[in-house]
Amino acid sequence: MATTTPTAKPAPAHEHGHEVHGRELMHHFESAQQQKETATLGMWVFLVTEIMLFGGIFMAYIVYRWAFPDVWAEAAHHLNTPLGAVNTVVLLVSSLTVALAVNAAEEGNRRRLLTMLGITLLLGATFLVIKGFEYGEKFAHCAGAANPVAWVTGGARLEEKECLVPGRNFIFPEAHGAEGSKDAAASHGAAASHTQPQAGLGSPYQLFYFLYFVATGLHAVHMVVGLTIVSVLTFIAWRGVITPTYYTPIEVGGLYWHLIDIIWVFLFPLFYLVH
Amino acid sequence: MAKTSTTAGHGAHGDGAHAEHAAHAHISRGTYYKVFAALMVLMALTVGAWWIEGIIALPRLLGVAIAMAIAIAKTTLIILYFMHVKVSERATQLYAGAAFVGFAIMVIITMADYFARGWPPPPGPLP
Repeated sequence: MATTTPTAKPAPAHEHGHEVHGRELMHHFESAQQQKETATLGMWVFLVTEIMLFGGIFMAYIVYRWAFPDVWAEAAHHLNTPLGAVNTVVLLVSSLTVALAVNAAEEGNRRRLLTMLGITLLLGATFLVIKGFEYGEKFAHCAGAANPVAWVTGGARLEEKECLVPGRNFIFPEAHGAEGSKDAAASHGAAASHTQPQAGLGSPYQLFYFLYFVATGLHAVHMVVGLTIVSVLTFIAWRGVITPTYYTPIEVGGLYWHLIDIIWVFLFPLFYLVH
Repeated sequence: MAKTSTTAGHGAHGDGAHAEHAAHAHISRGTYYKVFAALMVLMALTVGAWWIEGIIALPRLLGVAIAMAIAIAKTTLIILYFMHVKVSERATQLYAGAAFVGFAIMVIITMADYFARGWPPPPGPLP
């Protein structure tokens, strides 16, 4: 890895006169390898703060699920587990394509690099569309429609009142809630406040959905950021900036993408696979 | 988009190739595919376990333990191979590990405090 062997377009030459110097070796580094390791370490420092950010949400989750396991079991039934599972697969595949993109960049295969980044973009977008549909379902139910499409077109109505978006209008459906509410009522002793269906702030199920929307919402925001990063990477790869000696952007952007995947690896069982 | 073999001079696969200082470490495509296959198997296992728990009654804690063990296994694979921590510098490995140690400390101290004050809460108007 010692000499610059540009395979695509050469990296734009920089102002100072030395022949090797480009983005791949700035003044203050001894070698391209050292520069890359430094960038990687810097990215990890940032990723640690990201883990702490999500860590707070996971902490809240642990505290409340510990206290109200029955509420969790009942509430989780109303999430769309098949779609959640599909999304998990989508993200895992996108992690593979990102890893392969780094590999392609390392080997100087621009064509394969662009292909992999393109597939990653598609998969990321797929994830967001599916997630959007899941959110849409919940909001459509609040509006009385059976599904997001019916909500827009004024189609099929929901026969039973249900609203799983936290807030004043929160209503946990009676059919599935009956058993769980009884448990909850028994364990809390406050039988009077547990008339069904549970509406608004009186419903214990709101806690689950509050954490669900906060956690998956923050994750979705990270997905949007990740998609932006991969778009920029695709652009600079297309411009020919990425070479076997300088592929740090791909490596570091990839780290961010994998972190988002890891967060989802935990969100999926914690929200969708609850008994 | 297929047949370029790994550069001569590097081992054909990253397994066991320990990152010597400043040596350029490399994880091959074959390893990525294997890791991905393992991730898919783990994914199927976690959904399968959830499905089985819906049929036969297992202790709830066991179900959570299984799901979390699988999630941790997936995370370890992603961090070591996809994120190249296995072949990274020591300092990077330290940071990657420190994140999870930090999280563990937060959980332990927070839960210890909750338990010391009586958690789950006594019956009342909560939640």
